Amino acid sequence: MTETTAHKPGVKRFIGIDWDLGALRSASPRFWLWVAFLGTFVVVGVAAWGAFITQGGVVMAQRDGSPWGLWFTNYMYYVGLAAGGLVVYASVHLFGAEQYRPLSRIAVLQAGVFTMLALLGVVSDFEQPIRLLNMVISPNPTAPFVYTGTAAGLYMVLCFVDLWIMLTGTGGEKLAFTMTLIALPAAIYLHTTTAFVLALNKSRELWHSAVMVPIFLTSATASGIAVLFIFAYIFMRVTNVRFKPSMFRSLATLLATVIIIDLFLLSVEVLWTFWPTSAIPGETSRLIEFVAGRYAPFFLPIFVLGFTAFGLLANRKLRHLPAIQITASILYIIAIFLKRYSLMAMGFSLTPLGQPTKIYFPSLVETGIALGILAFGILFVTICVKIMPLEVPKEELEAHHGHGHASLDEAEVAA
Amino acid sequence: MSQDKDRALKQAADLEEHPDAPSTTVSRRRFLQGLGFAAGVTAAGVIPALITAAPSAGNESEAAESGSGAPGGEENPLAEIIENDKPVNYPGKPVKYADPAGDQKWAMVIDVKACVGCRKCAYACVKENNIGRTSGFTYIQLLEMEPGEINLETANANYTEGGRADKWYLPVQCMHCAKPTCVYGCPVKATWREPDGIVVIDYDKCIACRNCMITCPYYARHFNWVEPEVPKNEINPKVPLEEKAAVVEKCTFCIQRTRHGQTTACTEACPVGARTFGDLNDPNSDVSIILKTRRAFRLKEELGSEPVIWYVG
Ligand code: SF4
Ligand code: SF4
Repeated sequence: MTETTAHKPGVKRFIGIDWDLGALRSASPRFWLWVAFLGTFVVVGVAAWGAFITQGGVVMAQRDGSPWGLWFTNYMYYVGLAAGGLVVYASVHLFGAEQYRPLSRIAVLQAGVFTMLALLGVVSDFEQPIRLLNMVISPNPTAPFVYTGTAAGLYMVLCFVDLWIMLTGTGGEKLAFTMTLIALPAAIYLHTTTAFVLALNKSRELWHSAVMVPIFLTSATASGIAVLFIFAYIFMRVTNVRFKPSMFRSLATLLATVIIIDLFLLSVEVLWTFWPTSAIPGETSRLIEFVAGRYAPFFLPIFVLGFTAFGLLANRKLRHLPAIQITASILYIIAIFLKRYSLMAMGFSLTPLGQPTKIYFPSLVETGIALGILAFGILFVTICVKIMPLEVPKEELEAHHGHGHASLDEAEVAA
Repeated sequence: MSQDKDRALKQAADLEEHPDAPSTTVSRRRFLQGLGFAAGVTAAGVIPALITAAPSAGNESEAAESGSGAPGGEENPLAEIIENDKPVNYPGKPVKYADPAGDQKWAMVIDVKACVGCRKCAYACVKENNIGRTSGFTYIQLLEMEPGEINLETANANYTEGGRADKWYLPVQCMHCAKPTCVYGCPVKATWREPDGIVVIDYDKCIACRNCMITCPYYARHFNWVEPEVPKNEINPKVPLEEKAAVVEKCTFCIQRTRHGQTTACTEACPVGARTFGDLNDPNSDVSIILKTRRAFRLKEELGSEPVIWYVG
């Protein structure tokens, strides 16, 4: 699109985007080694899925007591990670948070890819994948699953369309603004419906809580921003793009704020469950498993990791250091994974008839499928970063004044 | 595989050889439409009130209003229950594996005072319904309860020997809820409630998402994680078998028996007669009489799923 890229050899224009295929040809052996490494996992994942389809559900660790497993943990997790990207991107266009503009393209890419992974997880787990068509033929309007499924599908398409609009500059700032107006409510809708898959069940005590929806939103935003943090640092390493430290500092403040709201909501739920005037045996006997029982090793670290991450970022003296930002981000990314797993397990630790179930731990096949899907996602992004013009061009940054002007000085592109 | 399919089709054809049904289905539906106008929302916990013949003011007017439409004459205290007993997500034609629904409203009453926890019902059910012998589940579960409480969290479903005098036993299975959360939760309408109140699953439509297992408050649904295996000489030809691989299944109120005038296998097998199965539309059926004359309760009544299995003690 810009002069520099258009004249580089090996650049092919397709659907209005300049694909830098030459970059693949001149890529270093290290790059190909990395691609091969990810490719191996993709192959493992496909093989694991093949084993599942041929041998059936018996190869999974899921059973009647835990009818959903790693795929569902990952569904919640990935959908959440998608959101963080979108929040950052949307704040540029909606709230004029120009300091994040350099991130807007990779943020939307992140949103689209994670939603894709979430959907792949769902499809890979159903033993009757072809019958998923029934979802289109006879959808049931009272089933939350229908809403979250379609929301994820539409959202993924929306993200990729949005990315295309940004990369091609179609419609200019006006269309970008309109897209945000669509994408942000869509993101909220996706999270609400995902939370509803849990919250709308009177059959599962600990899920049956309206707070589930805000918790989903905060966890999603926090973990998504944390991933974007890491993505941005890696992006700087592998490309010549430089982001301004002040952008990271401002992102760190945002992350710290969301983390503490997230932890607050979770703490309220725990307190509410155990307080003598509100405690109900069906709920306490389930949550006790997470506070002091078999699931405590998964649940309690959420608070330890969460408060540590918050502490690191809340500290004015530390939060501008890249190492601190990265550490806090990694801590919270792990914390949210544990939280997704715990949330799922809260529905399953005891059956609806109060009987303890076997603790769920993914089988080799389930792990293989999940790793394959994740590797596919990283591979997808790796290639995108290599061949897509993901850096926001100078002209676009220059065109925006205010905050944008300040960030322009340091967002230098060394071509 | 195709061999299996052939067998399945033949089985289905066998099952469809009962011609009396279509007309009754239609009349049944018209009857229900008529009832629909008078339908009221039953408050949870209305049963004890009805049984002690002391309905609250609100229920009284509803009962009076609908009483005329209910079979069995003027003052059927079960009228409101029957009225709430409607098909849900019924596609208009009965499930492939079963005969069309008749005019009945099926219900069951279990006498927990009589139940000794021998699990004979559960074993009979396994045989009757072709439940895979290595599948690791039964449609019926028995909970050994501590005296003085109905506390699921302290109950024991894995007791080794029934009949302990210091315990009591609660059999649980699909309650064929009038407001079935499983049906509401199925994303593809692969499960529904028929006009006679039986909640069925279409094994050919189920996408194996297990969402219904999540939404059922009674842990009544089970997934075939392994292919259901039944010894050749023990296969009940009236019940599909291969089709149940990789889909969810559960109690069907022995649809293959009860729609032919037989009672359920569990009712037949119970050595102490703790189970009574019958038609609420028939005011003289055993279930109607028990519900009208004894104090009954339903499990997790507060959830409002309106199960049609009652307990008396
Ligand atoms: S007991 Fe469970 S499976 Fe049976 S009808 Fe009620 S909700 Fe559905
Ligand atoms: S497992 Fe089958 S019956 Fe149950 S909700 Fe999913 S599609 Fe419906």
